[in-house]
Amino acid sequence: MAPRLLALIPLAVGINWAMGQFVAATHLPVYLDTVGTVLVAALAGISPALATGVVSQTVLATLGGNVIWLWFLPVQLAVAALAGLAAQRGGFASWRRAVVIGAGVGALAAALSAPIAFFAFGGVTGGGVTVITTVLRALGVPLGPAVVMASVVTDVLDKAVTFTLVRSILIALPGRTAARFPATGRALGRS
Amino acid sequence: MIVGFRPGAGFLHRAHPFTPLAITVSVALLAFVLPGTGGPLLLLLAVSLLAVAAGVGGVLAPALVLAIPFWLFLIILHGLLDATPDRAVLIGARITAMLVTFTTAVAVVHPARLVDALLERGLPFSVAYLFAATLQAVPRLRERAREILDAQRCRGLRVRGSLLNRATAVVPLAVPLVLGALTEVDERAMALEARGVGAATSRTPLAPPADHPVERWVRWALLALPAVVLVVRFVG
Repeated sequence: MAPRLLALIPLAVGINWAMGQFVAATHLPVYLDTVGTVLVAALAGISPALATGVVSQTVLATLGGNVIWLWFLPVQLAVAALAGLAAQRGGFASWRRAVVIGAGVGALAAALSAPIAFFAFGGVTGGGVTVITTVLRALGVPLGPAVVMASVVTDVLDKAVTFTLVRSILIALPGRTAARFPATGRALGRS
Repeated sequence: MIVGFRPGAGFLHRAHPFTPLAITVSVALLAFVLPGTGGPLLLLLAVSLLAVAAGVGGVLAPALVLAIPFWLFLIILHGLLDATPDRAVLIGARITAMLVTFTTAVAVVHPARLVDALLERGLPFSVAYLFAATLQAVPRLRERAREILDAQRCRGLRVRGSLLNRATAVVPLAVPLVLGALTEVDERAMALEARGVGAATSRTPLAPPADHPVERWVRWALLALPAVVLVVRFVG
């Protein structure tokens, strides 16, 4: 792996974790724990994004002592791969495109995370999504559909915000930094 | 909450780093294949005793703190709303057993020993570096995120209000964090290149952890145990 990617990936994982502080401060009903992964997908492509996903989920589970996060590794990998594919096709070229693609990636992420949450943990994963599941269940929605609906709502919103945020970052990149990552231009639809 | 390595001289501290990892994998699988509610509860008792015997009984407190939100929602969802308290106990015991084993493994395996063990087994240095560098980068970026949050609040950034206001407030927080991190990439890449990270030669760990043949057999037995339980249940 190129030294530039070796330097980038640990920082991207750090961004994934640090975003949690901003989420806590703003009380947003999202995680933003894939901002670093999506950013690497836009800057460097699919393979480095997949590596970021693996390292991110493993290290964050280790530091947090929460092994449950490892079960959701396939979701990180799917987001990384889809973000990489989107970036190759100018997925960050406009605000509307970033929001729509982010929402689509969120729906697919929910399709992966809901079965893991339901079958392995009975719909309880300890995060904000479980609060929504509980409210829906209290309103009479059966557990399975409640888990799916809660996952779709949170993941669609989360990934739409994540992709929009990554577009903001790509636009704000100084020319010198962007030149170090040639894929950036394609992600923004400039080449 | 950050859970980390706890210095000690217990038998799991002295074991090869792969052994606590094998226990973690085995428990994660056993939690799902052991029968009834009693199986996972016995497993939880066993892994708690293992942590105490290994001299890291202190990990039980953080593991239980991590388990509290799960139990809370399990009691509400399955115990009260679905009237299936047995299912709440079953899933709660599974999750808690996994959390206790994982925090025990994190407490007894020093990251440097694990890296040496992985390098000895032929893992590329770049992969080992990725994990080691990330463990250092995460606390540093958390600290920087806190500083940026304080600085932007001092400049009048409002982090309350409507959903749109709060979502907009994330941009002036995230952009400086990410741009600051990206400016480090060049410097770090040059430092890595200067240390020959791109070289194709494999590295030799200075002090690879000792691995006794008996321990190797124990690891294989641990990994085979869930399959044995599954077969016994299927046949029985």
